[in-house]
Amino acid sequence: MGLFDILTGKRKLARPAPDRLFAMSTANITFETELGLRSAGRAGIVFQALATADFDQLVTDMVEVVKGISDDSDTEVTSQDDDYGYRWIVLRDPDFDDLVVGINAVSGAIEAGGYGDRLLCAVFAFQNSAGRPLYFIYNYKRGSFYPFVPAGGAQQRDSESELRLKAQIGAELPIEAELERWFPLWGIPI
Amino acid sequence: MPRPTSFGKDTGLQVRMTFTIFLLGLVYAALIGVIFASGYTPLLIIVAVMFLVQIFASDKLALHAMGAREVSPQEAPQLHAMVERLCVQANLPKPKIAVANTPMPNAFAIGRSPKNATVCATTGIMDLLSPAELEGVMAHELTHVQNRDVMVMTIASFFAAVASYIVQFGFFFGGGSSDDDDGPGAAVVILVSLVVYVVSFLLLQALSRYREFAADRGAAIITGRPSALASALMRISSGMERIPQRDLRASEDMAAFYIFPPHAKNSLMNLFSTHPPMEKRIAALSRLESQLQGAA
Repeated sequence: MGLFDILTGKRKLARPAPDRLFAMSTANITFETELGLRSAGRAGIVFQALATADFDQLVTDMVEVVKGISDDSDTEVTSQDDDYGYRWIVLRDPDFDDLVVGINAVSGAIEAGGYGDRLLCAVFAFQNSAGRPLYFIYNYKRGSFYPFVPAGGAQQRDSESELRLKAQIGAELPIEAELERWFPLWGIPI
Repeated sequence: MPRPTSFGKDTGLQVRMTFTIFLLGLVYAALIGVIFASGYTPLLIIVAVMFLVQIFASDKLALHAMGAREVSPQEAPQLHAMVERLCVQANLPKPKIAVANTPMPNAFAIGRSPKNATVCATTGIMDLLSPAELEGVMAHELTHVQNRDVMVMTIASFFAAVASYIVQFGFFFGGGSSDDDDGPGAAVVILVSLVVYVVSFLLLQALSRYREFAADRGAAIITGRPSALASALMRISSGMERIPQRDLRASEDMAAFYIFPPHAKNSLMNLFSTHPPMEKRIAALSRLESQLQGAA
C-alpha cells in the first residue's frame, strides 16, 4: 500500500493471479519422475462464500460447468463448507492435468461472476513414496505456490520437509519467497 | 452478470481524513515555525528521541500492561487458523497473536508495521462472540495493522506532544533567546503551543474516529460480511453495560487501538472520543451490507 493509501485508509483486495496455476502441470512431471511424489487424485479450491443472492446460484452453475468440461473424463465435483465458514469445491480425478483444468475452470467461473477477490487458495493433494500425505497450496493473491506437510499431532507441520521440497522444486514452480506467507490450512477436506 | 466492484468505496470518509491530516499539518507547521524562531529546538529534539523510544520499545510494554500473553497455535488453534485465513485474504504477513485473560470483551492491535505487529483478543471476547463475529473483529484489527494506524497516530500526535510539553515546561526553558530581539519571547511560544495543543487534540480525536471507520470498512471488505461485525459490535456494547465499573482498567493511551473504547458509557461528548458512537459504526456497516447485496 502506498503512502497515500495508508494515510487515507484506502483498501483494495488483491485480484487473483491465476496465470501461474498451470505451472503445476509441468511441475507434476518432475514430481513423478524425480521426487517420487504421486498425485492423490484430489484438488480443492477454497473461497469466501458471500451471502449475496447470486452467489449460491453462481456456485451451482459453476459445478455444472465443471461437470460439463469433464464429461469425457470422470471428474467428481463436490462442494462443502469447512470449520471456519469458508467454502471448498473439491475435485476428484485420477488424471492430474484434468484436475488443474478443472480448478482453473472453477476459479474462472468465480471471477467471471465478479467474486474473484474472494478466492483464497487452490490445494493439490499428493503422496510421497512412503504414502505420507502432503499438499501444494497455490495462493491466488500472490500467484505463488508453497508446500504444506502436516505432521502428526494437532496443528503441527513438518517444516523441514517443506523447505526441502522448496529446494527440490523451486526451479520449476513459482514458490512463495516469503516464508511467513506459507499459511497452513488446517482441516483441508481433501 | 459481473458485479460492479464498488463495494466498500467511501470517498467521503477518505476526503474527511485527508482534510484532517492536512489541517494537522498546517497547525504543526505553525508550531515548528514558532519553535525555530525561538530557542525551543532542543526540546523538540528531546521529544523526538522520546517518540523514537516509544515507537521501538512500546510493544512488549503495552502487551504487559494489558495482561496479554503471546499464544502458540497449539494453545489457541481456532484463533490462529482464523487469523491465518484472514491474512491470506488480506494479503498480510501473519502477526503475532496474544490473548489477555479478562472477562471484558475487547481486541486490539499494536506494532509499528505489518511485519512487527501483534493482535490480541481477550478471553471475554472469544467467549462472547460467534466465530463469524470474532472473525469480523479480528479483521478490524488486521486492518489497523495494514493501515499502519499505530504508526500514523503516533507520528500525527508527535507535535501535539511537543506543544503539550512546551505548555507544561515552557517557563523553565523560557529565555533561551532572551537576548535576541527578533525571536518571539517565551510567552508567545507558550501561547501558540496552547492553541496548537487544543486544536490538534480535537483534530487527532477526529482522525482517530475516521480511522476506526476505515478499519470497520476494511474488516467488511476482507471478510465480505459487514453484518457479522455489526452484530459483534452490538453484542460487545451490550456486554460492556453489564460489567461493573471497577473492571474497566484499560489505560488511556491504548484506548485508541481497542475495537471498542473501554469507557464508552462515560463519553461526555463525541468530540473527545477516540471511537465513533456505536450507532454510527453499525449504520456505516449496514450501508456497506446494502452495497454488497444491492450490487448482486
